[in-house]
Amino acid sequence: MAVFDTPQAAFGALRPACVQLTRVQTVENVRQLQAHLAGVSGAALQELQEYVLFPLRFALRVPGPKQERLVQSLVQCISSVLAATCVKKQELLQELFSELCTCLAPPPSSGKAAPLSEELKLAVIQALHTLMHSAYGDVILSLYQPSTLPLLGFAVSLLLTLAEQEKAKQIKISALECLQVLVLQCDCQEHWHLDEDEAQQCGDLFASFLPGISITLSRVIAGDIKQGHKTTVSAIRLFYLIVGLVMSDKQLARIPKNKEKLPVEHSRISELMIHRGPDWTKSTAEKLSLLLHKVVESSSVHPHWKVRLELVELVHHLLSNCSQSLVDSFSHLLKALVGLVNDENSEVQSRCNKVLQGIAEQRIVAQNRALADVLSENLHSLATALPRLMNSQDDMGKVSTLSLLLGYLKLLGSKINIVLNSVSHLQRLSKALVQVLELDVTDVKIVEARRSGPPCPLQQGVQKGRYQKKYFRFFTEEKVFQLLQQVCRVLGYYGNLYLLVDHFMGLYNESGLYRKQAAMILNELVTGAAGVGVDFLQEREVPLNMNDLKGSITSILDEYMDQANWYLVTSIDTEESSPEQSVQQGLAVRAGGSSSSVLLLSPEPPATTRTMNSNIWQICIQLEGVGCFAAVLGKEFQLLLLSALYPVLEKAGDRTLLISETALGTLADICEACGYNSVQCLINENSDYLVNGISLNLRHLEYQPRASQVLDTMLRHSDASLLPLVEDVIQDVLSALDQSYNSQASTFLRVLHSVMTALVQWFGMSSTEEHRQRQADKGQSRPRSWGQQEVTITSQELERFFLDYVSQKQIAEGDLPDLEEEEADEVPLAKPEPNSDTEGEAPMPIHAQLAKDVMERCIHLLSDGSLRVRLKVLDVLELCVTVLHPHGNHLLPMAHRVWPALVTRLISDDPLAVLRAFKVLCTLAQTCGDFLRQRVSKDVLPKLTSSLLSQAPVSARAGPVYSHTLAFKLQLAVLQGLGSLCERLDMVFSCT
Amino acid sequence: MALPPPDPQFVLRGTGAAVHTLHFSCGGPEPDIPLLFSGSENGFIHVWNLKTHRVDSALDGHGRKSVYCVETMGGKDRLLSQGRDQRICLWDLAEGRTSVTDSVFTEHVGFCRCSLLEVAQGRWLMAMAARSLEEVQILELPSKTSVCTLKPEVGAKLGMPMCLKLWQLNCGSQPVLLAGYEDGSVVLWNVSMGKVLSKLVCHQEPVMSLDFDSEKAKGISGSSEKVLSIWSLNEQQNLQVYKTHELVNAGISDITIRPDKKILATAGWDHRIRIFGWKKLKPLAVLDYHTATVHCVSFSDHSKPRERLLAAGSRDQRISVWSIYAQT
Repeated sequence: MAVFDTPQAAFGALRPACVQLTRVQTVENVRQLQAHLAGVSGAALQELQEYVLFPLRFALRVPGPKQERLVQSLVQCISSVLAATCVKKQELLQELFSELCTCLAPPPSSGKAAPLSEELKLAVIQALHTLMHSAYGDVILSLYQPSTLPLLGFAVSLLLTLAEQEKAKQIKISALECLQVLVLQCDCQEHWHLDEDEAQQCGDLFASFLPGISITLSRVIAGDIKQGHKTTVSAIRLFYLIVGLVMSDKQLARIPKNKEKLPVEHSRISELMIHRGPDWTKSTAEKLSLLLHKVVESSSVHPHWKVRLELVELVHHLLSNCSQSLVDSFSHLLKALVGLVNDENSEVQSRCNKVLQGIAEQRIVAQNRALADVLSENLHSLATALPRLMNSQDDMGKVSTLSLLLGYLKLLGSKINIVLNSVSHLQRLSKALVQVLELDVTDVKIVEARRSGPPCPLQQGVQKGRYQKKYFRFFTEEKVFQLLQQVCRVLGYYGNLYLLVDHFMGLYNESGLYRKQAAMILNELVTGAAGVGVDFLQEREVPLNMNDLKGSITSILDEYMDQANWYLVTSIDTEESSPEQSVQQGLAVRAGGSSSSVLLLSPEPPATTRTMNSNIWQICIQLEGVGCFAAVLGKEFQLLLLSALYPVLEKAGDRTLLISETALGTLADICEACGYNSVQCLINENSDYLVNGISLNLRHLEYQPRASQVLDTMLRHSDASLLPLVEDVIQDVLSALDQSYNSQASTFLRVLHSVMTALVQWFGMSSTEEHRQRQADKGQSRPRSWGQQEVTITSQELERFFLDYVSQKQIAEGDLPDLEEEEADEVPLAKPEPNSDTEGEAPMPIHAQLAKDVMERCIHLLSDGSLRVRLKVLDVLELCVTVLHPHGNHLLPMAHRVWPALVTRLISDDPLAVLRAFKVLCTLAQTCGDFLRQRVSKDVLPKLTSSLLSQAPVSARAGPVYSHTLAFKLQLAVLQGLGSLCERLDMVFSCT
Repeated sequence: MALPPPDPQFVLRGTGAAVHTLHFSCGGPEPDIPLLFSGSENGFIHVWNLKTHRVDSALDGHGRKSVYCVETMGGKDRLLSQGRDQRICLWDLAEGRTSVTDSVFTEHVGFCRCSLLEVAQGRWLMAMAARSLEEVQILELPSKTSVCTLKPEVGAKLGMPMCLKLWQLNCGSQPVLLAGYEDGSVVLWNVSMGKVLSKLVCHQEPVMSLDFDSEKAKGISGSSEKVLSIWSLNEQQNLQVYKTHELVNAGISDITIRPDKKILATAGWDHRIRIFGWKKLKPLAVLDYHTATVHCVSFSDHSKPRERLLAAGSRDQRISVWSIYAQT
């Protein structure tokens, strides 16, 4: 088809169709015109706009009933003309507007909407839409004058009716969109931008429609889901746009006190006009609050995410535009917003977060007292309901409730303190938290799980910050715990730390029931206060005062590490402590001996698994707390090590697996915080603090086991550089032991054992090397003495050989000196040990001195009544011998003194003890060599041979079970050891 | 039943030798770290940080000869120390320096600690045992000018001075010196006139230590015997025995009255520290921790009473620090 660019050509083309239409109004003619229109360019049509519109409008205006199809095609045609042109005249706009509206209006006779076809309705709506878009800015404003109010109202009510009552989605949506254009809130960008006065004027006008629009829309929003989400979304958008415009804080602020008088001719209209004064604002806000509540309620649970997203937008729009006028509604709105933070749809979530962020950043809450009040009110009611909700809801419900709580706290930001300052708020909140965080303490395994054997070096298996997984009574979902954590941290971040710490400390002390939870909360509070791992929306107003934090932490630490809270019964330990010891402890408690020991054991009779489990958890939580505090304070924690390191290390040696693991984790945290490379480093650098603690605790009988535990741990994770300090404290241990041989022997033996193990570890290398050398020397010297052909034998050697020979000879002849005599001449024998002449002069190294001191105690304890102690002593003794090995002229006198007791063990004791004693003997023989020859052959060998002899027939006959018996083990050990023993002692000589 | 005696609050280890003298400097305002100076047999003066309980620095100025007296002059930045190398050193410790600014050669071979008295801002009098056996010399510091030499009358046979205490009743009045001598007597000297005001034989054995309370005009002295002697000074400047107190074990190496004059502490050869009420000499506590002779006791000068401490140094190379304000 030809295109007509010039008005003249276009006119020529359109004229016949127009004339024809004017004459006869048929659908066919309209279609003709429309067909011609398609060939006319926009510019040309603009010139001819009124000319073309005339026949169309004329056809519409023809009185009498018309065919619906005709009207529809007319309207469509108008619409296409308007789409291509602009309306430049006010009159034209108003007339077209009213004519189009009339098309939809019911015939004046019937009161109800005409049963028009849906196509027609759609066509009219679209035409209106197009009309609004084709009008020039200033032209369109003419429509928004008080005088046109009735017309506008008519259109609005028509469209609303359509939006509400139509079935077809298309119509509903179009009607809503058209309304949106009508209230000048179109989404497209090409609109005339209203200046403030104009907007104000429009606001005044629209205020008249607000009740109708809002009520209808809220019905639409709450309507059947079947209407489709698009309808709901548009309705929500329109709702907030219109409310936001009419109730805008900015506009309301500019409303004059009194209603303006309109010119007289508009008196009727002026009755329709609404004055948005304070009274009106208030009552409208109240009504809107109800509607908003309804809207929020229905759409926040809408299955389609776009609806929920639109709800977020609604809250955002209203919060940013009407935060004062609609303040009463915000309790619902914020609740919805905060609740949607954890929406299942990520888009809703992120938008929601962004909106919250925006709210926080603009300090809407901080600057708006009323809003803060609303929030704290919400918070209070939530806190009130929280305990109940936590009890009744399932995990999902808890997640949403808690995210709501978290959202409130985050929104309140630094205003949290207003809430916290109210005792009832704080109490509610804390009670709820404490209640939710109740741990499940029924697991028996926790009490049962023991540390097996000595723990591997601390560095391995310890991962920083990995806390023990806790099991809660009221929820299992990890998410719930994370939310609770965040709640506490946010509280700590914004809240007054002193107040919070004080309050929760109060709870901590109030009852054992709350203690674990309160400790958990305190840990998180402090973490939050330091700003670690807090997910906040706005920076707090007052930055953290490090001194305050330190002060709080110090007081919490003091409380945690108080006797009554740190030393709890976590096991009924029958396995390690000997029975008599526990009896004694029990007696001490019953006698009320020392005041503090009463605290150690709870007054109730035997601790149940449940309480022990609970105690274990409490200790773990407190340990985790220490780790938190260290992480928070960083290097500053160094100062607190003085008081904190010892108790933590004590727990690292605890026999309950969970506790010792947690303590190791805490140590790792401390290392990291204070900048130590390893736990060993930590212990070495702070050994003075530890030694101080140990030494002080050793002074009290009831703390001795614990002190020895720490020493144990310390030794295990340290190195030789520690020796000077350790020496000091070991002397303390020894003197403590001297004062309580009976009661604490087994405790201290454990320490002595670890001391000696450590010494062997630290100094063992040198000694074994020396030993090897010595062996080598011996190896060299032996063939010499054997063969005697070599001429390089010194006179000294000769003399010694001769003396030896004489004594051996005597023995061989059965001329055995009795014990006293032997001792008497053994001593001078020990002196001229040529190997160690030089060592004799030099002062003994500390470790050797220690070994000697320890050995001295062993002599006394070798004949202890308890088998367990004796076995332990034998172990320690063996280690002592190993350490003393390079210092022959100290070892030999000691060996001499040990001998009688050792022999008794070898000859007449429990087989277990014999077994160990034999091992000691072997070690001793390794180092003392021929010094023992005589004694062994006299005191020990006869007994051993006789027992071997008696055992031989038994074993010969024995079945497979025999290899599991003690007798077998003993027999085996003796048979295995005897050979090398004899060799070491040069027994060959004495036998020949 | 009385409470069991307390444990030390903490124990400082690491001097590496017997501790002979202790001096606190804790009076400074908040950012200042409370310090404890200790002088030990190996000639080192250790500066202990009482926050970390660790040695901040070790001062070596007496040629590895035993240090037996340490005093601060004014603040914690100026220190006076006396050692067995027969020198009294003045230290400048400000801004981390550790230098000897000045020293006095005493030529005295005994163990008599010097005594320091601030007579005016930045001006001190120091009493010290002088070269000749019985003499005490008074110097003015920091100028080191000799004020006078206190020489007992010929034939008095007091023996060497063992302990000194310079004091004045109030600011501006005549400084007076109390000196304990080898023969067991305590002598009151008028410093400006160099005259004996009064002499009192308190002990059969040398006076090891004395302290004086100028408010109550009462003093206490201990010797190597089992007796503590309390004496008073009357208006006529005469010393009189007021009371004696029998001890279980002999030998007192140091006596200090707490600055608030309520209690006093003694360092015993029996490894124990004893606390007495000063008013009636009521025994309050026996602090048992050390494993060798206690050489010195010292009370801290914390500005807050509750923080105040007692420290004792012993031959077992440890310094025990006690908090006894809380208990008393």
